[in-house]
Amino acid sequence: MSVFCFSSRGSTGKSWLTVIAAVVLAACTPAPDDRPALDDAGDPLPPPAVRSRIVSLNPATTEILFALGAGDRVVGRTTWDTWPEEARRVPDMGNAIRPSVETVIGARPDLVVLYASGENTDAARAFRAANIDVISLRIDSIAEFERATMLLGETVAEPGRARTVVDSVRGTLERVRAATAGRERPTVFMLSWETPLMTIGSGSFLSELVEIAGGRNVFADLPEPSPQVTFEEVLRRDPRFILGGPTTASKLGTNERWRLLPAVREGRVLVMDTLLVGRPGVRLGEAAVSLARLFHPGSIP
Amino acid sequence: MTLRVTLLVLALVVVSLAALALGPVSVDARELWRVVTGGADPVSRAIVLDVRAPRVALALLVGAALGMSGGVLQGALRNPLAEPWLLGVSGGAAVGAVLAMSAGLGDPSFLSLAAFAGALAAVFVVLGIARASGLRADPRVLLMAGVVVGAFANAAIMVLLATAPAEAARGALWWMMGSLGSAQWRDVARLGVVLAIVGPALLHWARDLDALALGHDAAAALGVAPEATSRRLYLAASLLAAATVAAAGLVGFVGLLVPHIARSLVGSRHRAVLAVSALVGSTLVVGADLAARTTRAPAELPLGAVTAMVGVPFFLSLLRRMR
Repeated sequence: MSVFCFSSRGSTGKSWLTVIAAVVLAACTPAPDDRPALDDAGDPLPPPAVRSRIVSLNPATTEILFALGAGDRVVGRTTWDTWPEEARRVPDMGNAIRPSVETVIGARPDLVVLYASGENTDAARAFRAANIDVISLRIDSIAEFERATMLLGETVAEPGRARTVVDSVRGTLERVRAATAGRERPTVFMLSWETPLMTIGSGSFLSELVEIAGGRNVFADLPEPSPQVTFEEVLRRDPRFILGGPTTASKLGTNERWRLLPAVREGRVLVMDTLLVGRPGVRLGEAAVSLARLFHPGSIP
Repeated sequence: MTLRVTLLVLALVVVSLAALALGPVSVDARELWRVVTGGADPVSRAIVLDVRAPRVALALLVGAALGMSGGVLQGALRNPLAEPWLLGVSGGAAVGAVLAMSAGLGDPSFLSLAAFAGALAAVFVVLGIARASGLRADPRVLLMAGVVVGAFANAAIMVLLATAPAEAARGALWWMMGSLGSAQWRDVARLGVVLAIVGPALLHWARDLDALALGHDAAAALGVAPEATSRRLYLAASLLAAATVAAAGLVGFVGLLVPHIARSLVGSRHRAVLAVSALVGSTLVVGADLAARTTRAPAELPLGAVTAMVGVPFFLSLLRRMR
């Protein structure tokens, strides 16, 4: 390969030669895993190091850090990071999106874990300017959870424990998949928001969890994580179950319009624990177990 | 009058120092002094000099620019309700920003560029409508054109927001509420350059505003061409407002309220009104931003909402006294 790379430099301006040169040069660029990896905001990853003060501004990454054994070094979290129980004792620094930059800097962290969003780029820049390492992560799918766990494991110098966390979650998910295999798979409509009506598409870990737990997401054909849909379309797809959070699901049975759905009229509205199932964190396995128990009572003891 | 101006300057200095010292992380006076003289703890230094100082500086400039812009528009259009937001600038800027966000181009510097471009586009559409209407001598035409363009922009924003992904919609909403949360020295420099060019020009044209205030015929008799002058002033004031939008999103009410306060303090001569509007606007926005980031710390309130909440009672008491 190196011979080709070398000879391509001698190519003249003739168009077909240029094309060949471009192809050869492209083949010569290092494979993706040789390049320094980037985080989900497109910034270089911080170097692996034992971290003594970490601010984690994302419920899922806070869970992961505690699972990695770095929980005692977490010195800041968002208002929504309530699991595990010990995380509640960490100082609350507000929101995950557009965090209070000076509160975070004031905690003197050596690593800030951010939710990767365009709205957080200014905060990431400000932390780097204050010589604080930053890693921005975005977790929508189970694969992204695994990737984020491995990246965080490397960043806080706990790669072995990261592997263990990933393997354990994967193991539980496989057990759930095996326990529900071969059963009839009911169709499920996940109600994530009422006005506008929003559901879960295949881009979300929730859709994956429903499939693993032996259900079929009626809107799995939509690629976005949380697409907007029309009520008529829900009626047309006639799901076997409606799955929602405790506040929304309980109201459906008395709602005239929702009662047009056979699933609602016949009482097949399932209530999930949104604090457990709603987060792509280390309890993904547990979340799958709870959904499997809802769809297939008795499938998992 | 000199005493009043001295007190205003003093108020601005006090509010600015408070804004540097106060925040979710407390920095006491001694530490603040060490930050200025060197030798402070690097974390306090970073918080005061890199996070708070650009924010306070940008608040100063945004307030000054909006105050002046409102003062000029109220004078040029001879209408006490005239302000940059009523005249299409905000609508155009918001369409630009929301378009950029829903297209996934939410990068902050691109966003300010899009907002600035949108504001300028709206201003030229307003001028175009006024020119095409044929009612050139009537200052109400600019006002009506501005309101119409603003209404159209609102409709466009609603369509964009309804179809945008959730994250873009939230970002757009936040932007429309105004914030100095991501202020950097780069933003301060950009707005500073615009203000340094347009501000002195507006002060220079203050005499034209005094002439326009006498009515079109009197102005013409004094050698001021009414239509051309009010168009030129409208353009300059809108440019100033557009530059603030690019830096801080929509910060409402300052342009409407501040010139009225200024007139109640120094009378109706426009040079004094504009200079005092800049001073009062700065004090109001620096103070409002301080409230926005401390009342619910570490979370922040939208700056535009705070300026209106502080401003409305003040405005009402002013109206009572004018009766």
